[in-house]
Amino acid sequence: MSLPFSKTERVNLSTAEVLLACGDPEGLNIMAEMFAGFGVHTPRRCLTMGEAQSSVQSKVLNLLVVDSALADGEGYDFIHWLRRCEIEPNCFAPVILVTGHTRPSQIFKGRDAGASFVVRKPVPPLIMMQRIIWLLNDQRKFVCAPGYYGPDRRVKALGPPVGMKGRRHDDLSAEVGAASTPNLEQDEIDALFKPKAVM
Amino acid sequence: MSRPRVFAVENTLAKMAREPGGRTAEAAVKAAETRVEAQRGVSLVSLIEKSEALGNLAAAARQGAPDGLGPVYDLSNAIFGLASAFGLKALSDAAISLCDLSDHFRSADEVNWPAIDVHVDGIRLLASMGEKAAVSGGDAILEGLRKVRAHAMPPN
Repeated sequence: MSLPFSKTERVNLSTAEVLLACGDPEGLNIMAEMFAGFGVHTPRRCLTMGEAQSSVQSKVLNLLVVDSALADGEGYDFIHWLRRCEIEPNCFAPVILVTGHTRPSQIFKGRDAGASFVVRKPVPPLIMMQRIIWLLNDQRKFVCAPGYYGPDRRVKALGPPVGMKGRRHDDLSAEVGAASTPNLEQDEIDALFKPKAVM
Repeated sequence: MSRPRVFAVENTLAKMAREPGGRTAEAAVKAAETRVEAQRGVSLVSLIEKSEALGNLAAAARQGAPDGLGPVYDLSNAIFGLASAFGLKALSDAAISLCDLSDHFRSADEVNWPAIDVHVDGIRLLASMGEKAAVSGGDAILEGLRKVRAHAMPPN
């Protein structure tokens, strides 16, 4: 199977503060072993939402991996709390939500919780690394709205649907307007590609 | 109502991960696979223990435990997570089927206990078979559970 990332791609997670939360001790252990293999030194291991919340309050975290099932509640509720807790910068930290069986009532909860990525079990190391690398390149903005706190859920910027006017203030029209300034001369265009020092 | 705010945040994870040092992603994945694989034996033992506990929880739910089928659902979900991590397909599929059933009957007036019981027994058997389930009739057990589930939870 071909790798979903380049062979030379390097990842240094040795100084990253990572929180791992899972309600099942053995499941948490597997997560911890996986991240130890990735080079994470001492991840914060949390079985309960209470433990995860106190970690968020006491340490700056760079990545959170949260199972949907915690020992005393749901991972969705923890992420919902995290995004609104106003503990900066942790409330903006990337979160990978790992789900097992998903009840119909949890589908919208998962969408609205504010996770950066949702991954369904099983999550082998290759898939987890792929998601982490995706997060390293994630440049999505953060949204705070009455019904949602979290990274922008739109991962593609393709503009409004064809034939429709965009709803956002920064949506551009598909029609190109008339030029408002004179055309560039060829040497000006060349200078854009091959800048030269001007004496 | 407050206006939505959209703003850029610093990707501190990317900043750290791009620091010199570390390892290639490929080497990191291999190291992680080795470490996870080293947990296989412990996890298989844990799956047997969990499946035994599942029987106790189902019996308690039947006798009117206050949380009803909630703990059965939670433990079955944990069994799914662990079994799927080690490629135990029959066991993880059986656990997901029990999750469906226990969630369905959690809010129902009447619980189909025989369907729950046969799933618990199937999961115990599959957990005790461990990796041999793939060649020792695990698929037949799973097929039986699928029929029970379809009967107990007919599609709408």
